[in-house]
Amino acid sequence: MLTKVVITVSYMLVVFYLGYRGWRDTKVATDYMLAGRRMNPFVMAMSYGATFISTSAIIGFGGVAGLFGMPLMWLTFLNIIVGVLFAMTVIGKRTRRMGLALDCLTFPELLGRRYDSRFAQGFSGFIVFLFVPAYGAAVLIGISRMIEVSLGLDFNVALVGFTLILALYVITGGLKAVMYTDAFQGAIMIVMMIILASFTYSKLGGVVDAHQTLSDMAHLMPAKLQKGGMLGWTQGIQPGTPIWLTVYTTIVYGVGVGVLAQPQLAVRFMTVASDRELNRAVLYGGLFILFLPGVPYIVGALSNAVFFEEFGKISIAMAGGNFDKIIPLYIEKIMPDWFSALFLMGMFAAAMSTLSSQYHVGGTSIGRDVFEKALRLTNGQTFKATQMGVAVTIFMTLIWAWVLPGGVIARATAFFFGLCGAAFLPAYFLGLYWKGMTRAGAVASIVGGFATSMLWLLFVHLKEAKAIGLSQALFGQVTLVADAAKGSWVWLLQWVDPNVVALPVSILLAVGISLVTKPLDEEHINLCWSKFES
Amino acid sequence: MLGFASLEVALSFWLTLAASGVCVVYGVVNWNKGGNGAPPRTED
Repeated sequence: MLTKVVITVSYMLVVFYLGYRGWRDTKVATDYMLAGRRMNPFVMAMSYGATFISTSAIIGFGGVAGLFGMPLMWLTFLNIIVGVLFAMTVIGKRTRRMGLALDCLTFPELLGRRYDSRFAQGFSGFIVFLFVPAYGAAVLIGISRMIEVSLGLDFNVALVGFTLILALYVITGGLKAVMYTDAFQGAIMIVMMIILASFTYSKLGGVVDAHQTLSDMAHLMPAKLQKGGMLGWTQGIQPGTPIWLTVYTTIVYGVGVGVLAQPQLAVRFMTVASDRELNRAVLYGGLFILFLPGVPYIVGALSNAVFFEEFGKISIAMAGGNFDKIIPLYIEKIMPDWFSALFLMGMFAAAMSTLSSQYHVGGTSIGRDVFEKALRLTNGQTFKATQMGVAVTIFMTLIWAWVLPGGVIARATAFFFGLCGAAFLPAYFLGLYWKGMTRAGAVASIVGGFATSMLWLLFVHLKEAKAIGLSQALFGQVTLVADAAKGSWVWLLQWVDPNVVALPVSILLAVGISLVTKPLDEEHINLCWSKFES
Repeated sequence: MLGFASLEVALSFWLTLAASGVCVVYGVVNWNKGGNGAPPRTED
């Protein structure tokens, strides 16, 4: 216990020092919202990765890998190719340049100014502000439960204490404090993952032997999972089954592609001074994502082999059926004692880096994109309005963590990713590359994508529809297609991620309506494109 | 196959490593490209 306390206090001191550095270097609104547009590429990439990967990617998805095995590596592959390489080169460079040309400080502002639409900015800002606290609450609850178990603090004390620490440096230090601390937290997470992977592989006799041991255990896959389509932990999944649809649409497609239009990540492209920094960030980001989430997925899957050798049980049996417990249990039962104290610090780092960015992006959205536009504040008042916005976001996250039912909170991440992809991706991506995108096309795509995604989540996608219960209350059935013939494609829709449907709808609306509506002024388009050549 | 029992899984593993390698090579090759200096600081 003493070791845990000493490590936690030392860690917090470094975080406070970095938060202080951020505060000291923050003078104007550009500093507060975009880190002065001069961020170092290493800090930018580490911050991007650490924000991207929260405790739920390590504990939650690591546990999912314990259940479904290695096919989750496809998500790591997509995260690297789409979330880093494509995002930073194809999207990031133009985002940075257009953001500079239009003098944008937030992601919704980029959409608003690109389409010369106050509605696009206000609506996008409002969506971000509304759903970020729910996603944040999921992360906050997770880490507070961990503090409760590891340090013996009361859950509510942990919840409020953790929030206050974050509030202090995010409200005062803005994006500089967020990114400096993120980079430190990202480095801690990488070290944890290297130790975790090396220990696990060496325990099972090396890389190939470890995989082989897991391959030889396919017959131990629980019957229920086999029926759902699982062939084994390294054997893949039977195509067309509910588990196959869940893994490949929700996990791979939903999260892998949904990452492209996340405001808290997109805004980081605008924090660097030139394309050169983004080129360098690709190198750091590509390595970061290989370890995180790559390592938790591999270790999650291999935990079956380790647990079976040590205790004669597979992971999900060890965890009493709750896959969220697989990784914590593995740390506690298998890893050496000294590692569990360090791992707690790693989890602090993962939770704080994600939460600080959520608070910041939610706060800038409500401050800059909603308050400022609605109240017609002057530029000088933006700074204060944004700080107020961050404080409001932090407070809302805390309230959500207290009042929302656990089931809803657990689904908040999927909600946020699904909504961002469907509502923002077409207007954002096409806005960077197609001069013919019109204001009406963008607004229709944002609103249509948002509405389709919401409807799908509330009435068709089983996990969210069941947790929220609106379909049950209105129509008397858990989802609108629950009564379809079992095994039919209509019935299987319940496991199809909202982005599979809402994203194409959003793209069709963006392209279709832009083709038949009045294009934006040529002068405005030239301004948007003005920084693209050079 | 690295001990994996299906091509689907082995491929995901290899491609993940390759993707990370591509990012490293991209970063090294373009390390000094695209630099156009810091933009003027906007006072607002």
